[in-house]
Amino acid sequence: MCPLSAQNTPVLIIGGGVAGLTAALELDRRGLPSLLVDKGPRLGGQARGFCCKALVSCARCGACRVGDLLEQVARRPGIQVLTQALPVAAQRQGPGWEVTLIPQPAPEGSAPALAPALAMERPLAQRLVVQAGAVILAVGHQVFDPARKSRLGHGRVPGVISAGQLEQALAQGGLPGQARRIAFIQCVGSRDQVLGRLYCSRVCCGFALRLARLARHLAPESAVTFFHMDVQDYGQAWRAELAEMRADLRFIRAIPGQVRRGQEGPVVAYAGEGGQPQEEEFDLVVLATGLEPPTAAPAFNEMFGLQPGPEGFLAPGAGVLVAGTAAGPRSIAESIEHAALAAAQAGLHLAAGQPAPRGEVAHA
Amino acid sequence: MPRPALCWLQAPGLEGLDPQELARAAGLELDRGGVLEAAVVNIPEAQAPADLRLRLLGRPVQWLDLAAEVGGGQPQHRLARAAASLARAAGRASLGTLAPVYTPQANQRVLVAGQGLGALEAARQAALLGHPVLLALPGDDPASPAVGEDPAQVARLAASLPAGIEFSPASRLDNLTGAGGSFQAWLDTPQGQSRQRFGAVLLTPAGGWETEPSPPGLDPSLARPLMDWESQPLSSQPGWRQVAILVGVSRPASAQAFGRALKAALALQGQPRLQVTLLFREALVAVEQGERLYRQARSAGVLMARLAQGDPRVAGEGRTLIWQDQVLGEELELTPDLVLLSQEISAPWPTFLQNEVLWPPRQRLLPEHARLDGGRTARSGFYILGALRGTAPGGERLAEAAAAAQDLHELLGGGATPLPAVRNLICARCLTCVRVCPHGVPEHQDDHIQPAPAACLACGICAAECPAEAIAPPGWSTAELLEGLKQGLARAPKPALVLFACGQSVMPALASLSRAGRPWPAGLLVQPLNCAGRVGLELILRALSLGAEGVLVAGCHDGMCRSLTGNLRARLATGQAASTLDELGLGADAVGFLHMASNQPQTLARTIEDMYGRLGRPGQAGQGE
Amino acid sequence: MRLNDCDPGFKQEIAREPGGQGIQACFACAACTARCPVGELKPEYDPRRLLRLAVLGRREEVLASPLIWLCCSCQSCSEVCPQDVRCSDVLTAIKNLAARAGYAPPSGQAMARQLAAHGRLLTVGEFENEKRAELGLPPVSEEPADYQAILGAEAAAPRPAGEGA
Repeated sequence: MCPLSAQNTPVLIIGGGVAGLTAALELDRRGLPSLLVDKGPRLGGQARGFCCKALVSCARCGACRVGDLLEQVARRPGIQVLTQALPVAAQRQGPGWEVTLIPQPAPEGSAPALAPALAMERPLAQRLVVQAGAVILAVGHQVFDPARKSRLGHGRVPGVISAGQLEQALAQGGLPGQARRIAFIQCVGSRDQVLGRLYCSRVCCGFALRLARLARHLAPESAVTFFHMDVQDYGQAWRAELAEMRADLRFIRAIPGQVRRGQEGPVVAYAGEGGQPQEEEFDLVVLATGLEPPTAAPAFNEMFGLQPGPEGFLAPGAGVLVAGTAAGPRSIAESIEHAALAAAQAGLHLAAGQPAPRGEVAHA
Repeated sequence: MPRPALCWLQAPGLEGLDPQELARAAGLELDRGGVLEAAVVNIPEAQAPADLRLRLLGRPVQWLDLAAEVGGGQPQHRLARAAASLARAAGRASLGTLAPVYTPQANQRVLVAGQGLGALEAARQAALLGHPVLLALPGDDPASPAVGEDPAQVARLAASLPAGIEFSPASRLDNLTGAGGSFQAWLDTPQGQSRQRFGAVLLTPAGGWETEPSPPGLDPSLARPLMDWESQPLSSQPGWRQVAILVGVSRPASAQAFGRALKAALALQGQPRLQVTLLFREALVAVEQGERLYRQARSAGVLMARLAQGDPRVAGEGRTLIWQDQVLGEELELTPDLVLLSQEISAPWPTFLQNEVLWPPRQRLLPEHARLDGGRTARSGFYILGALRGTAPGGERLAEAAAAAQDLHELLGGGATPLPAVRNLICARCLTCVRVCPHGVPEHQDDHIQPAPAACLACGICAAECPAEAIAPPGWSTAELLEGLKQGLARAPKPALVLFACGQSVMPALASLSRAGRPWPAGLLVQPLNCAGRVGLELILRALSLGAEGVLVAGCHDGMCRSLTGNLRARLATGQAASTLDELGLGADAVGFLHMASNQPQTLARTIEDMYGRLGRPGQAGQGE
Repeated sequence: MRLNDCDPGFKQEIAREPGGQGIQACFACAACTARCPVGELKPEYDPRRLLRLAVLGRREEVLASPLIWLCCSCQSCSEVCPQDVRCSDVLTAIKNLAARAGYAPPSGQAMARQLAAHGRLLTVGEFENEKRAELGLPPVSEEPADYQAILGAEAAAPRPAGEGA
């Protein structure tokens, strides 16, 4: 428990996911202590529940990096952690910020909360005012709610799940039900002018294809159909993997118009070879949901006086840095690198803003 | 031999364990606050109070994460595992720690070879962190950008460079040997070649444009590289009506190249009476503003033609492109006045990196190793950035440069980098360690094996492979491991299963299972290792000969090993052990290997249970969840 | 088909028509085709294909196609389109261009002939006149003079088929 009502810290990191953990670590490596706060009861963010997508070889999804980061953060005494702490107000103070945090009640039964607590995960007990030299916003992203595309049947048609739900099922050791005919539908909530999401979410092609390959591996008799527009590129190693997957999965370049309830499973309506509407029954339809700006983005913009960032994500401001998916869609590995830069910039900001530089940035 | 005492600190997960009883069971004295010869501490070093660390300074100490190794389950099982674990640690502590023969200092100088955003940012960050930096530029001007970068952004960065950076213009890195803290670099400069020592080296070449191959048979007078055209606008060609742009047609393209092609198409489409057709296989829009640009180009009137593999064909005396339209299912023909070929940024692999004995092969370093981000490579202190790594110009290059600078600072700062102990008296100079070390630590100098001061990760592959047992990271020699195993196995209930556990993937999974209160089989003896590569055939067979009924080796998935091949070496050793046992008629079932990741604790739990099932007496296995 | 012979201005022409603005936004994802009820009944009808032909600038082929008149404006395509193309409205714009260019659907031509000949689209026979009589309405004849009397001479002057839609 934290008995303090006011506290000083060089850097306040808001959000304890991959980006927040990395930022804290990188700051600590620079000799800068930080306070890492998360509004939920557990650190690790959305990626903490992700499963390993390796068959024999590592699929480089980065999901296990979350555990690595948690282990490392736990070993660094310079990083102080407060969970269930919600920032509600911020005031500019010199080159830094004064941020007010209020305790949050523990939510019941959310997925990461099922994991047992780490020793460092301590909830905020009472209202706390933090004076920080710099603030790093690592508040992550929101996953698109597939029910908003109601014609794709999520929440209405049994057997239609989101890629995140498939991930959770696989993390617990298997495919849901006896899924043999599996369809993936890409770009759900991405590349969509009507929804105001005119951007590619970057990660879903790789994510869905790795899940598809894992599903095929776990149930070798299953057949996977991949409805997509374009398969995005993830570099050299990915291209070799993709060539294998093209041989193993059925790629259909069309976005289905509708998913309805069928005799045994969901029925997908899509444009067939000659341009005629066609219907096909599957056991499982997986919607590759896109990444959206964090729901709290407008609140943070107002709190810290920030200009809205690209596509409604967060953009940095005076004494405020943004790390990870809060700044735009990116993968786990990309979030780690992005957060490292935010930490480096926070270090430079502190060095520039203080008459007597401290720690290892003294050379500035 | 020092007599170790048990320092007991209460910690979560140790409820119900009596230190008195455990100390007796493990054959240890319980610490009562006096002078200590050697110690076993039941919590990790980072969690220990400062006064205890001070008291133990300079003594042989074994720090345990006992809570993780004990786990949950029935009280008598937890007690048995705790006793075995402590006994094993006591065995190792009583050997003391092999002192390194010499303690070289890590060289603090940093070499940045290259130009552009990544080079300047890396140099700037390293200098701000207090390192003397030599920036070896291929040209004369530090403000010249790498290919594809914004010159204004580079100039701004060049203007903000701090003191402490030395420039070496018109220089080229010709050869590089060594590892973290002790690199030798051969630099070609206008003044001749010089050999200099550095603690860390960052490579970030400017790169060049690699042009999309022209479709076979196309009239060469039609085709032009896209970036060439940028400097020569088309307004002088009023008769032109049709322009084709090819991007990612005969080989995969990047989203950056696709974006550049879209921008060119937009600019051309804006000219009167000109129709631009963009030919591609996939619309690569996974970059900021990518989808908007794609839509903008369509709205401006650019024709999008998505091609199948093998298209376009060339006909009409090399002036006509023919392809199958995927919507219409019929052939389209275009006789363009100009064909622009998209370009990718690429950089050639430096020749010294092609020496696969000294450097890990390219596919092991590039482009994506899940544990090697921020430009890090398996060779500690050596960083690959920018065009050579395939990072797009802009913010991402700044990010990786910043991360690399921080990483080298920590590495050269000393920290807890181990230094392998070499017993030169028994070393046969066979250079096996030089050959197998993935981090380039051992170097053969003056007929001695000299380890680089800031490069060792204590993976122990050298110790597993050395035929003379002459090299090992401190604490990880075969003698130390066996002493621990001997004491642990003497106290472990039967059947005993030794788990050689990789510190990257297996120990975190064990810790999370333990936190969840997972009951373990009583005779499970966890031997934590930094890397499964430490295991080797000998250790497996010796563990069995010391009384273990089974040995399970668990390491990372292929491609995930921080030491590149530690997991594969361990798997090979396990296979060898299995076939040896089989030949001897002892049954290959006693040994097993598992590839896993730190977020697969259930896989580990299942495998341990399966293994126990095979050991013949499954009765004591835990109940599962 | 040679793209050099196509009309690159056709797509802009459609885009200038009311409702036609969306045509250039189409990225051919085929969500419209998947949901089109007309396509289910008439396999050769594919809205994505029609839009593709229009974008490529195959003016005559599109305007002369009997398929463009089949769209029933149910807006199913607009509902599913991620790029806000409003395919139904684009087809209306194409229909307007086609009509102006002198193309009319076969059904429209038949109706125009009927209108010119009889002044109305429905044929009035004994059955209708009996019903009218039951309601106390005067009978109407098949003759154009009849509706000229009702609507005035100007409205009755039949225009040649194809000029109006």
